[in-house]
Amino acid sequence: MRGSLIGTVIEREWRTRVTKRSFLIGTLLMPFLSVGLVVATVLLSEATDTSNLVLVEDAPGLITRLDRATDQYVPRCPSCFPEREKHAYRFVREAPADSVWQAEGYTVLVEFDESILQNHAGYMVYEKSPGVNAKRHVERDLSRAIEHARVLESTALDWGAYQELKVDIQLVDREVTEAGDRTDGGGEEIRGIIGFLFSAVLFLVLAVYGGLILRSVVEEKSNRVVEVLIAAVQPEALLLGKVIGMGAVALTQIVAWSLLSTLAFTAFQWAFDSGAFTAGMVADGGVPVDLMTTMAENEFTAILLDINWGLMVLSTVAFFVGGYLLYGSLYAAIGGLVQSEQEGQGMVFPVIMPLMFSYVIGSGAMSNPEMGILPWLSWFPLTSPVIMLVRVAVGVAWWEVALSWLLLMLTARGVLALAGRAYRQGVLHDGKSTGWGLLRQWLQGHGK
Amino acid sequence: MSHALSLAELRKSYGTQSVLAGVSFEVPKGAIVGLLGPNGAGKSTLIRSIMGIVSPDEGTIQLDGKPWSRALVRGIGYLPEERGLYKDMRVGDQAVYFSRLKGMGKSDAVRELRLWFEKLEVEGWWDKKVSDISKGMAQKIQFICTVVHKPGLLILDEPLSGFDPINARLIIQQVRALAAEGTSILLSTHDMPSVERLCDHVVLLNQGQVVLSGGADDLRESGWTGEQDVVFKGNDIAFTNALGALAHLDSIGPDTAEGTRRAHLRLRDTTPPGQLLQALGGAVEVLEFVKVRPTMESLFIQAVNASETPAT
Repeated sequence: MRGSLIGTVIEREWRTRVTKRSFLIGTLLMPFLSVGLVVATVLLSEATDTSNLVLVEDAPGLITRLDRATDQYVPRCPSCFPEREKHAYRFVREAPADSVWQAEGYTVLVEFDESILQNHAGYMVYEKSPGVNAKRHVERDLSRAIEHARVLESTALDWGAYQELKVDIQLVDREVTEAGDRTDGGGEEIRGIIGFLFSAVLFLVLAVYGGLILRSVVEEKSNRVVEVLIAAVQPEALLLGKVIGMGAVALTQIVAWSLLSTLAFTAFQWAFDSGAFTAGMVADGGVPVDLMTTMAENEFTAILLDINWGLMVLSTVAFFVGGYLLYGSLYAAIGGLVQSEQEGQGMVFPVIMPLMFSYVIGSGAMSNPEMGILPWLSWFPLTSPVIMLVRVAVGVAWWEVALSWLLLMLTARGVLALAGRAYRQGVLHDGKSTGWGLLRQWLQGHGK
Repeated sequence: MSHALSLAELRKSYGTQSVLAGVSFEVPKGAIVGLLGPNGAGKSTLIRSIMGIVSPDEGTIQLDGKPWSRALVRGIGYLPEERGLYKDMRVGDQAVYFSRLKGMGKSDAVRELRLWFEKLEVEGWWDKKVSDISKGMAQKIQFICTVVHKPGLLILDEPLSGFDPINARLIIQQVRALAAEGTSILLSTHDMPSVERLCDHVVLLNQGQVVLSGGADDLRESGWTGEQDVVFKGNDIAFTNALGALAHLDSIGPDTAEGTRRAHLRLRDTTPPGQLLQALGGAVEVLEFVKVRPTMESLFIQAVNASETPAT
């Protein structure tokens, strides 16, 4: 009978919230916003990658020479201006008026004088911004051309010898496993970022839904529904039903987000790959443009492809359940002990401190995912829900995850029982003291 | 005979303040018992103890002849004085929820609730949100939620507060009907007329103690102080002379168009009413001879004052 009563409470908590318009809007909006961000990034990078014809006005004649055969100025260092798709150069000594070069089809005019050798600055003139990539290309190409000119002028070295002397070191990551093998490593920072993003979402969900539990309990006390409820249901069962019911709402939202995001992303991928957004576009080598390739080429979207979504979602759900039971029951107990939401906020602060601490440490783990304190915090139940997700993303032994989760669940079970008693003391108490005073009274054993 | 509710020596203190100081009484099966008392008498604590919301320090509570248990409490229909509903829930969903907490199946709950909604004339409000209905309407919904699972014992704390006279009468009718069907009812109220109209038994609580209890008629009878109303036709001097030493004349009204007069008397302690009627009958024509019993309100005030007067 107790179980069916808890079930009834869970059903009410779940049903009343998931049928709210705000819940539906939030649940539907979030996946489309997140997938929309990816879509926007991909499409924007495609859209902004417009063709640029750059006219370089080399007035001092530093980087160009006249090609007698074609009677056109060409770079002294042709390799400094490599051929790129949608990005080409023409060179002159004296540029015509703006309206003229624009009418001739140029999108950008680059101007400089001899002072470029000292102050390393020139001008880029345009009507419409050519985009960050185009500017980066021009800056790099011009720098190399000027470098070429200076090498020829001020040293005895020829350009080829100078190029050979230049050193550009790249480090390839190799990770030593516990078994002593070497594997391809690297990407910890990116994985750390991914882990932090998940733990940040978990932190937010725990804090938001904890706050909702607190508000709901206080509301039931202030509108006196609780008087009728505890005549039928034991306070501990009521608390359990409430916490599980609200948790089910959060889980519903997480699952709905995952499914809808997958659905929306798949739909976008299908549309993208079928050429709906990229009609006529081809990648290098004439291969048709597909979404995965496009995403892999983009710094931001490439990170998304690096995620083991299945493992991350599973870990998020598992640690959400434990973390939610732990923090949710504490929030509910506080709700039982206080008379107003405002009073509750004051008591929530020490409870949420470990969660905030793990959030801060988690953000630090983005830049240093191997920091020494992380393993300890990923085992400690008050911080493990947030921290373990960072470690899962970076890479951690499965038994550590399982043991940490088990510890979390056991602690949650204990806290739930304790919170149930505090909640009972709070809702059944009709004395004057509330909040900290009531908690102190209860801890001293005056409450029954 | 087992009672629907039996309380024996119930005690409860908050710190040094004693709120219940050994309360004992019974609610017989099928009876309506009025629980009266001034503010702070301990009525709410008593009810909350019965409902398991407050744990009494001492004493025993029996429900239907069995020791108190939460399972038995779930069978009680409880309408608290400070009652509320979820504002963001639809009326029907909310009523179904409370019914299911009382152990009803969903379909049974819906069927019974529909009947009650019709009885209390709120059938059109099933799909409305509580925030959209009036206070009186919400009170009716709360009453329905209290009685829908056909409880053997009903505890109603100020059930008529907030109702207009028409709706109050509707609720009183339903309470009477429930009692007639065998439901035992403990009714806590300050509304004395409703106590007189509804209650078979009365328990008066003051300072945590029962200061008066018994059948409502018996109490009014035993509280009778010899007051009598007489309507007569005849000479008023003859009427006064006939009173003699048997009764004291408190007041006498003017002649009516029919030539009758109404007198209010107070019998001497030793005078049986029959002896006075005989004496008056010899002097005037007695048309009405009515015993004036004390109202519940005056009994209440007397009992409270008496319990608070220090013994000399």
